Amino acid sequence: MRKFIVMFLLVFLGIFLYFNLSYLPAEKMISNNVSQHYINSGVKETGSFNLVTAILFDYRAFDSLGESTIIFAAVSGIVLILSRKTLPVSSHGLTFIVKRTLGLLTPFIFLFSIYLMTHGHLSPGGGFQGGVILATISIIFCIVYGSEFDQKKFSPQTKTKLETGGALLFILMGILGVIFENGFLDNLNLFNGEPGSLISAGNIPVINLGIGLKVGAGLAIIFYSMIQKTFGEETDH
Amino acid sequence: MIIIEYLLMFFLILTAFMAVFFTEELISIIFLSILSMVLTALYLINQAPDVALAEVVIGTGLNTAIFMSAISQVREGEDCHCKEDD
Amino acid sequence: MIYNIVFVILFILGLYTVLVKKSMIKMVIGLNIMESAIFFWVISLSNTGNLIPILQTYMEEKAVNDPVPQALILTGIVIGASTTAFLLTLIIELKKLGGSINLDHIKGLSE
Repeated sequence: MRKFIVMFLLVFLGIFLYFNLSYLPAEKMISNNVSQHYINSGVKETGSFNLVTAILFDYRAFDSLGESTIIFAAVSGIVLILSRKTLPVSSHGLTFIVKRTLGLLTPFIFLFSIYLMTHGHLSPGGGFQGGVILATISIIFCIVYGSEFDQKKFSPQTKTKLETGGALLFILMGILGVIFENGFLDNLNLFNGEPGSLISAGNIPVINLGIGLKVGAGLAIIFYSMIQKTFGEETDH
Repeated sequence: MIIIEYLLMFFLILTAFMAVFFTEELISIIFLSILSMVLTALYLINQAPDVALAEVVIGTGLNTAIFMSAISQVREGEDCHCKEDD
Repeated sequence: MIYNIVFVILFILGLYTVLVKKSMIKMVIGLNIMESAIFFWVISLSNTGNLIPILQTYMEEKAVNDPVPQALILTGIVIGASTTAFLLTLIIELKKLGGSINLDHIKGLSE
């Protein structure tokens, strides 16, 4: 009975929402001044061809710092809740064919993620996409080879050091911007090359590397903490 | 091109409806992964390649893996005697 | 106009799942469906019929799409994944303390 009342109310809400959406202006959002300024003078001021990366890491770099803080808060909360009273599951992994095939494929996945991180200002890509692919490598190790193998290769201390190193690199670029230029996270003119070549675009490649390490290590820590199981029933009151 | 876009949007609604309809949770998680893949194709048709790259890596890879690892710990009922599970 | 209809249908489907279903994992799935609907609608607003927002050489025409909504949605996708991971951790811990993931059978909540 309760389901039908909720369904009727939601249909009413949907019709109301659709009629209110038709009051938006018919022309799209491009005719305001901010987007026109980014399109017209984005390449001259930042030196990167990819306009989305230029917005995310040069014009609005402070918002990317806020997003790193959100990922850091989520990782801290998850590690605090799933405490270490559990024994790690040492699974034996999958069969021999899968182990051999993925042993041949993993270096190419690593190369692809480094390519995405360093060519962020020339082609679609950037720090976030490359970082998540790095976390996928750790997930592959956990599932295919067993969690003992993953603990030997990348111990949790290594992942924590990588994550904090990435965040500190980001903040270091900001503080250097205060010392040498006018404001926090200003463009340092570090790699001043021809726009379109690999070594160009100010401090965007360095920030891409920092963000990629941070996101990748953080998501790998999340997955590693969530697969621990308890042996026997030890419930703490 | 327009016909492909309309067909993909119809698939989007159908997959979301299937994810809500079943009661067993494993089937809903698989349909959520399919919804993420259809959404990536729609992002590409709307000329947004950066967003499509992020959605295919995060939505199909990481979200599904985290859901599967969570559901293997809360499933009640039978205890499995298998040695390899994560 | 068709983007508006698809957005409203997906959003109402997700909202129905969060309100009515009893299993907690279904609620997290409904939250993900609502987020996907909003991201799809905002990206459809940035499509004005031109090329992708990556310039190739110095183009004099400069008829590209709007790059600002794409940057915002990129941040939103990563935040959605972090929130989902945190919610699932809370569900795992609640199963250990309460005994079930169904809202009707949790022990310890007062009647």
